[in-house]
Amino acid sequence: MLSTVQPSDIEPSADPATKDRRIRYLRVVDADVYADWESVYRDNIDRLYRLMYARVGNRPDAEDLTSEVFRTALPPLRMASSKGEVRAYLLATANTVLAAHWRQHFGMPVTSIDEVADAGSLAEPSTDAPVSAAPQRAGKILEALPDRYRRILELRFLEACSIKEAAEVLGVSVSNAKVLQHRALRMAANVSSEVGL
Amino acid sequence: MTQRRLFAFLDAIAAGRRPRDFDASAEDAEVMRAAVELRAARPGDDAPDPAFVAGLFDHLSQQASAAPTASPIPMRRRRVALGSVAAGLVLISATAAVTEATNHSTPARLTLPAPQRSSLRTGTFETTDGRVMGQIVAYRGSPSWVFMNVGDMGYTGAIVCRLQVADGSTVATGTFDLHGGQGAWSKTIHVDIARLRGAQLVNASGSVVASATLT
Repeated sequence: MLSTVQPSDIEPSADPATKDRRIRYLRVVDADVYADWESVYRDNIDRLYRLMYARVGNRPDAEDLTSEVFRTALPPLRMASSKGEVRAYLLATANTVLAAHWRQHFGMPVTSIDEVADAGSLAEPSTDAPVSAAPQRAGKILEALPDRYRRILELRFLEACSIKEAAEVLGVSVSNAKVLQHRALRMAANVSSEVGL
Repeated sequence: MTQRRLFAFLDAIAAGRRPRDFDASAEDAEVMRAAVELRAARPGDDAPDPAFVAGLFDHLSQQASAAPTASPIPMRRRRVALGSVAAGLVLISATAAVTEATNHSTPARLTLPAPQRSSLRTGTFETTDGRVMGQIVAYRGSPSWVFMNVGDMGYTGAIVCRLQVADGSTVATGTFDLHGGQGAWSKTIHVDIARLRGAQLVNASGSVVASATLT
């Protein structure tokens, strides 16, 4: 941000030739920075947690990974950096922490954070409204599935039914419900990749 | 066995529990990804617990005031903390690269955090005229990793990183995209990091634009 400084704000010049010039002096006043680490934390904790949750799907891991990101990122942070740089740094840290999580616990990446595509996840201003795009993405995936596939995934992952409860609702055995769930998830994965979700 | 462990993962995700570790196949990963994506869409579940937010704030406050010997944050999954050490070092360095390059017309040679163990080797990417472009860290582990970050390459597009050993031969390569001159790349490697000499960054026309020597 640039702000103007009127000549009256400046000490009189010793050079008479410059005294009467109506010059507007410019100085850089970058207001787009965080005052301290606390403001970095408060401005980003909500959105960073939601982003992690969307990538791991459970609260305990999302909390651990979010903690890891802040614990790693904050100590060396330079407050002179702009908010955009700080958020990009948090996102890069989150990407690395998430990648390490999947590789160490499951041997390969399952989900990831795209430091460009996901930049908007941290760039939006804080509001009380949900910022996750997960419901919209899930809705598109489910719409593309056959009825029974859609239904078992809704029961299991949106309505929190156990496999036994889901089997009862669908009128199938537990074994069949497991097979149905597996096939439905495979098709959901294909739909997700085909439509670029 | 794998199917049972995959189902256990799905069951945990559906119930909102932490899933147990297992070695997933690529096919498993696709199913797991779909399950995570659907579970994350459950209304209301993606908001952080206020107690968690307050507790982490308290911990970070202690860390900020106590500095070098802050108590470790409680981690229910210890390996997450251990595994993130190397990543953290790299990212600490990456931030330095970005901020230094921002604040100086000619980036100064960057100072990396001193490695705490011999399991880390670090280097600074420099152009032939001595400008600092970024940094690289090799981490000995199981598997070993290489992380690198560049911050002021001056163009957008693909760039190749070549890892070289003492005799000059290339032992690993990888391509990553620069956006606004910035980008990062990581890769598991199956070579003793003690054998690594350094790395080169090669642009789309095959020219070496920066190189680093690991120390």
